[in-house]
Amino acid sequence: MDNLGNLLDGFANVVTPMNLLFALLGVTIGTAVGVLPGIGPAMTVALLLPVTYGMEPVQALIMFAGIFYGGMYGGSTTSILLNTPGESSSVVTAIEGNKMAKAGRAAQALATAAIGSFVAGTIATLLLVVVTPPMVQFAISLGAPDYFAVMLLSFVAVTAVLGSSRVRGFASLLIGLTIGLIGIDAVSGQQRLTFGLPQLADGIDVVVVAVGIFAVGEALWIAAHLRRKSGEVIPVGQPWMGKQDWKRSWKPWLRGTALGFPFGAVPAGGAEIPTFLSYTTEKKLSKHPEEFGRGAIEGVAGPEAANNASAAGTLVPMLALGLPTNATAAVMLAALQQWGFQPGPLLFTRESALVWTLIASLFIGNLLLLVLNLPLAPAWARLLRIPRPYLYAGIIFFATMGAYAVNAQPFDLFLLLTLGLLGFGMRRFGLPILPLIVGVILGPRAELQGRRALQLSGGELHGLVGGWVSWVIYAVILVVLLWPLVGRFVVRPLRGRLVTG
Amino acid sequence: MTVLVGYVPSPLGEAALQAAIEQAKFREEPVLVVNTSRGDAYVDPRFAQEPDLERVTRELTAAGVPHTVRQLMRGRDAAEEIVEIVEAEDVSLVVIGIRHRTPVGKLIMGSTAQEVLLRVPCPVLAVKAD
Amino acid sequence: MSGMTTRPDRGGDQPPRPPAVETSVPPIPEQPGAERTPDLPGAAWPATGDVPPTVLEPAVEDGPAPKPDRAQYGVCAFLALVGGLIIVDATTRIGHAISTADPIGPKPVPILLGVLLIIVAVIYAVDVARGGTGEPEAGEDVDLSSPIDWRTVLLLIGAFLVNAVLIDPLGWVISGTILFWGSAFALGNRHYVRNLLIAVALSLVTFYTFAIGLGVNLPAGVLQGIL
Repeated sequence: MDNLGNLLDGFANVVTPMNLLFALLGVTIGTAVGVLPGIGPAMTVALLLPVTYGMEPVQALIMFAGIFYGGMYGGSTTSILLNTPGESSSVVTAIEGNKMAKAGRAAQALATAAIGSFVAGTIATLLLVVVTPPMVQFAISLGAPDYFAVMLLSFVAVTAVLGSSRVRGFASLLIGLTIGLIGIDAVSGQQRLTFGLPQLADGIDVVVVAVGIFAVGEALWIAAHLRRKSGEVIPVGQPWMGKQDWKRSWKPWLRGTALGFPFGAVPAGGAEIPTFLSYTTEKKLSKHPEEFGRGAIEGVAGPEAANNASAAGTLVPMLALGLPTNATAAVMLAALQQWGFQPGPLLFTRESALVWTLIASLFIGNLLLLVLNLPLAPAWARLLRIPRPYLYAGIIFFATMGAYAVNAQPFDLFLLLTLGLLGFGMRRFGLPILPLIVGVILGPRAELQGRRALQLSGGELHGLVGGWVSWVIYAVILVVLLWPLVGRFVVRPLRGRLVTG
Repeated sequence: MTVLVGYVPSPLGEAALQAAIEQAKFREEPVLVVNTSRGDAYVDPRFAQEPDLERVTRELTAAGVPHTVRQLMRGRDAAEEIVEIVEAEDVSLVVIGIRHRTPVGKLIMGSTAQEVLLRVPCPVLAVKAD
Repeated sequence: MSGMTTRPDRGGDQPPRPPAVETSVPPIPEQPGAERTPDLPGAAWPATGDVPPTVLEPAVEDGPAPKPDRAQYGVCAFLALVGGLIIVDATTRIGHAISTADPIGPKPVPILLGVLLIIVAVIYAVDVARGGTGEPEAGEDVDLSSPIDWRTVLLLIGAFLVNAVLIDPLGWVISGTILFWGSAFALGNRHYVRNLLIAVALSLVTFYTFAIGLGVNLPAGVLQGIL
């Protein structure tokens, strides 16, 4: 099989000392940021983007993938030991995990989380290997109108499905699209929204946007509401599991994987929803439902598997279509663009070695994470003693350094601050962040595809509709957009009838 | 008049507590146990947790000393909190635990004990852990 | 917990040095209603005690005050303003560049975007008028029960601006030191000497690893030749 050969080549590429070192570095940093509340993988990758310019793209990508996976592992440690989820995807883990820890079963909770993450990560990465190439084959056959439709769908999905308020989601998306508009129009060479500033002619660097919104904005927002409390960390020895724990864990691991992977792969799926679903599923299926709420191991095993599987799932649309479905993937796409790669289905054929090395590094990273997390959990917990002022001062410090390093001009720092204040304001008013970043990254590409499509039709709007794919996608968009109405007039009456019936 | 003891959940803190109990018995005064944290880290090992506090109250009750336990988390250093309490309230003696600090360590970390010793307007009893 | 133990009002999440509000002298087991979070020791998120782990909500529970959040109209105005700006820019500044290869040219997309922004601004305003509020973003380290601490935010912005102005003349090592030290100060840390040592170490390490090691653009400034 062709893919298998490619994957083996990928493994051969990863197993060089340098690449292994970067994989190790990535998973270490990833675990650390996963453990620390208040700093997540998206922010970390954004912060590290500029410093990777001097590195080989493969090595940087290996490191980023390690951070992404590592963040999912690290989050569980804090959830279990501190009841403070390090990441939003570990919120559910805290429910049972912390109860287990309090009951003196922290070791088992950490073990099932780490081993479950490993199992789920490995299976999901295998699924990624199987699913992505056919998807790429399919994607290559698509034309400009279909692409345009796919991007519209991704806009609508991140905006309308996530978050509580659609208006706010769209506001965020439009701000992102506006930022993406700034600079010289790629097709006509005209300057747009540059206001005569030469520094804006090349557009605002995606790196500066990502760092500004994720790092500076977040740091300012947290600083404005800094929690000044200390918690209690539950002391723990070496994580281990007994026979009974294994017996109760393996099914939740597999079910969690099955839930997590597809949710990671669809736009607006993310890691939170499958962890909740996994939790409720395990609660329903458990032979010990009375233990739920008091420290049931299934309630840790399932969600932890789900969030790691979703991390792998996220990479499918990212690598196959160039579509980001979560913040970390969005920033990784920005990284690809920075190195001059064109994200999209052609990435797989043009940069075959890069992609397969990355995928192979995921397997290695998973293994490293298991080794790193199982024996070292207590050491990771010590990270929580870092005073918050240092943490957030450090974030601002690295954000500044990175943003300056992009173009070596202080102008970018003022831009960074402006974007940071924008991010601050958005958090204050409850505008979601993801639509903005997706808008910045996909906006220019969507415009390009749209204009290419119209070029074929000579400017007539029917040019935006291509083959059946675009029809299907437009239909999906319509359903998503009109879902509140559908809910009111179709689903609710139906449900009412079922209840009365 | 009360005996104030700066408590941390460690052998040092336990030694200070024992000394405070002794002093309180001798002076026939109540004990005020103070435990503080700046609260700026996620986890502060010097901030006493439930089991520590239970043990402290148990020991004080067993010794038959009237006592109050006060925990403060207001973003300030332990020394500041203790000095403020001594200045505002009727404290006859402050008991703290001390340990060796290298000059560099003192420069970088500062020394709570030194601050308390120099700034508190009443006698200070400094004890070492054994 | 013994009846003799008093617990502070752990909601002391005010700026670094709150006025000395002593919380508890009398031996009351717990102080009801002193602040939102009933104190549990250990509670970045209440970590101990019998609170069910669903305690994830407290952070959100009292987001904006019950009174309508009128500042939201500012967001609507901002969106409309941006929309207007894009349209003005598109209609006045962008030149005509229509060719057969690009039948729609550079203008329609910005104009469409501007119009959409204005529409969203209007819908947003209607939503606000009907009592809609955006939930301020909760986070692991965000305590939404306290009001925005403008002093900290402004100090941080100040440290940031000082760095932006000084980075070219003085170089990264000095401006970065000021930035880190200033940020730590703004965030309420008062270990001046320790912070200075950390700041200098961090600046030097980043300069050597990134600027010299990885070839990242960081200016040496006045220390050119010394570093």
